[in-house]
Amino acid sequence: MTAPLEERSSADGGEQHRTAFGLALSIDPRISIAGLGQSQAASAQPPSRIYLDDGELDRRWGVLTSAPLRARELRFGETLLLSVDFAEPAGYLMWARDFARVLISPDGLELLCEPDHANGDWASILPAQALPLAATIRGLEILHASGVVLGGRAVLLAGPLGAGKSSLAAALVGAGGRLLSDDAVALQMSDGALVAHAGSVVLHLRAAENERLSADARAALGRPERSFPGKQRYVSAGAPDPAPLAALFLLERSAEQPAVERLGAVSPFELIASTFNLSVRTPARMRRQLDVVSAIAASGVAHRLRVQPDVDATQLATIVQEQLQEL
Amino acid sequence: MTDKRADISTVPQLSDEELLDARARLPQHVVHRSFVSETVVLNLRTGKYHGLNPTAGKMLDALEAAPTVGDAVPLLAAEYGLGQEGIQSDLLALTRGLLERGLIVTGDDSAA
Repeated sequence: MTAPLEERSSADGGEQHRTAFGLALSIDPRISIAGLGQSQAASAQPPSRIYLDDGELDRRWGVLTSAPLRARELRFGETLLLSVDFAEPAGYLMWARDFARVLISPDGLELLCEPDHANGDWASILPAQALPLAATIRGLEILHASGVVLGGRAVLLAGPLGAGKSSLAAALVGAGGRLLSDDAVALQMSDGALVAHAGSVVLHLRAAENERLSADARAALGRPERSFPGKQRYVSAGAPDPAPLAALFLLERSAEQPAVERLGAVSPFELIASTFNLSVRTPARMRRQLDVVSAIAASGVAHRLRVQPDVDATQLATIVQEQLQEL
Repeated sequence: MTDKRADISTVPQLSDEELLDARARLPQHVVHRSFVSETVVLNLRTGKYHGLNPTAGKMLDALEAAPTVGDAVPLLAAEYGLGQEGIQSDLLALTRGLLERGLIVTGDDSAA
């Protein structure tokens, strides 16, 4: 299932070579994406190409051989914020309100972008949604989690919105860790073990949590960028190398004191709910998703971390580090 | 099981005796994985997940291993130290539930 390749109008040469979500990326020089890893050596896998080409997206979406199938919708109230449609042979058409349309080829090797130029930050939709989808197509499984590499081991933090994932990730970076991702991490089975790949190393920290940090702690988070309402954005200096998954902490709000518990019997459906991308529902992907969830459960890395709403994230980071020493 | 029932209009209505003599197999589009707390059964055609409690998970394993549904009864009775009559009743109920959801088929055609 490969979309037909046509001659493209984007400039030859000058592509940026980056990595994210376990993918090698070749990016049109006109597209700026913050927080991606630097590509080191030549990769054995072909890169996914991200590019602009006026009119090409509509041309491809205009010659479908199958009716578009709505694979996903994301709404806020009545307002549609994001949709994903799939049709042969074009692939997955992602539409994100006020950001862009991105056509992702059925093999995940091409991401053809049509930006909303009124939004100078349109490209942030790529690491937030489009690249996780491309990585899922290409055989990785994305976990909706923040992640940090500590001592060469990956520590992932999953939980509901507002549970404190980003704050805890920031505290772990302050304790010497390197940010894997604020929101989504790619997992891959390698020699029977799970390996975590960095997503976008951009951290969005609540203003109240940001104000708690010392100047040194803020410096450790990277380059501060323009703030969003109620949040401060930091871009890390670089992404860490892939690391073996050592622990997954499932954050749970609680009125009780913070406490951690290693889970002997983690609910598979809780883990499935933490996976990121529901647009790709091919048999191979569904089977892989179940295999990765099974591997997480079998490896004994899952923990429950109870978090009070206003707990100091550095206190939680200490609890996490103490637990890691026992693994 | 956690999912809604499938359309049962196409499921053959077998008597208890016919079902006990039948061979139960997972079709190729159904996979399952065992966890400590439950067994997850995934229908790759529909994308639907189903959860089985540990006892039902053991029953599914026995159905896969035994030549017929009836042959699974003594295996399970021995494992749980219970009478075959009660086990048989529970196993038949589970088998019908799995058939209705398309998670197992009877006969030798696992490609169905």
